[in-house]
Amino acid sequence: MAPSRHAAPSAEEHLRRNTVGINKETVSNVSSTDFPGHFPGEDHAFSIEHFQSAFSIQFHRNEANDASFSLIGIDASLANAFRRILIAEIPTLAIEDVFIENNTSVIQDEVLAHRLGLVPFNGGREGIHNFLKWYKKPAAGEDQYANSFDWNTVRLELNVTCTVNQDAAPTENDPLKAYHHAHVYARDIVFAPTGRQAEYFSGENAIRPVNPDILIAKLRPKQTINLAMHMHKGIGADHSKFSPVATASYRLLPLIHITRPILGADAEKFQKCFPEGVIGLEPVTREDVSKAGSGYEGHLGEVKAVVKDSMKDTVSREALRHAEFEGKVKLGRRRDHFIFSIESTGQWDSDELFLESVKHLKLKCKKLEQQVINMVQ
Amino acid sequence: MPREEYQVPTTSGASSAGAMTRGATGGERHDSRAVMTYICGDCGGNVTLSKDALVACPHCAGRVLYKERTKRMVQFEAR
Repeated sequence: MAPSRHAAPSAEEHLRRNTVGINKETVSNVSSTDFPGHFPGEDHAFSIEHFQSAFSIQFHRNEANDASFSLIGIDASLANAFRRILIAEIPTLAIEDVFIENNTSVIQDEVLAHRLGLVPFNGGREGIHNFLKWYKKPAAGEDQYANSFDWNTVRLELNVTCTVNQDAAPTENDPLKAYHHAHVYARDIVFAPTGRQAEYFSGENAIRPVNPDILIAKLRPKQTINLAMHMHKGIGADHSKFSPVATASYRLLPLIHITRPILGADAEKFQKCFPEGVIGLEPVTREDVSKAGSGYEGHLGEVKAVVKDSMKDTVSREALRHAEFEGKVKLGRRRDHFIFSIESTGQWDSDELFLESVKHLKLKCKKLEQQVINMVQ
Repeated sequence: MPREEYQVPTTSGASSAGAMTRGATGGERHDSRAVMTYICGDCGGNVTLSKDALVACPHCAGRVLYKERTKRMVQFEAR
């Protein structure tokens, strides 16, 4: 083995390797190069120790329905695996079957059923995550409810009839005031606990819509909707109503490198090329001026453009369109800095979802490991 | 009688067998000219129409009438 096996590149070289170049009309240096055999004399074999020392997580925002954090020092393949697991493989509870007894509203049965399916629900976490298990569809010829139990099926009901509001003025034009139940909202859905569900889903743990104000249908007097629903657990790969996230996405950290000074009116124009808060204006200091070859000589007190917060940048490349900034700025993105954004639909907390995706990936790897063991035996 | 077979959703029994209706083609026989109940699209009230009656709701003169929906449960997948 070569003696320089563990030679590490300089910080500057490391940054160069990890920067995706964003040019006027092209994108350069897009592939990662940190794999064994790419750089002679350097060892890039994956080791858990190296990963642990290089990896870090920074939280920017952590609310139940919206979390944003950075994964630093991770490969795109892993970051993308987490994103895909978040969208398609974490189970949630959603309406799957709709049994319509009566529907005289203008919305058709199948459209109504579809709308109901997309309504996100919340409930006791312990019950949803641990008590409720997968539902298996009965085989053809078997009784339709052969596999429906309290631990895999949640029953909901929706019974609404629109009536004329006798107290309203005869000239009332607003249907919401002139009639009772002119609008059917998600909050009108009633949870009907069966069996042991009463233990897990009572009081504040009841199965309920996350957003009670979702409009399901509009009614006029004497129109009625009378139906029951069965909820099952499912995954987003099967139907997007089961996806636990509204969006789960990541972007790479934008980099703005001002290579030559941008001063005065140019600096103000430069600031306007980026979203608010990305570029700041500061006076040229004595220190700047004293540095020979910095380009600040003789500009003491003028304003200069400095990068304040490149994370807020949208990488619109507007700065590259202007001749006065040519050769003065370099745009790029950090290849191993992923700014994740997870918006939960409400059944899980957003940060909990990410941990769950890690758990899922670990489980997949365990399964694969067993397959490999079986293969060599 | 099989459950799936269509039933006219009215109560009037078989009567006046053999009475030919005006629009019927020769040879076709109707057990009865069943009285159908419709639902007015304007006021939501029940409307019964007899032969040759004007297609309009007697309560509100609405001309849009809907057929009554089946009384059976209909199952859909929420997809």
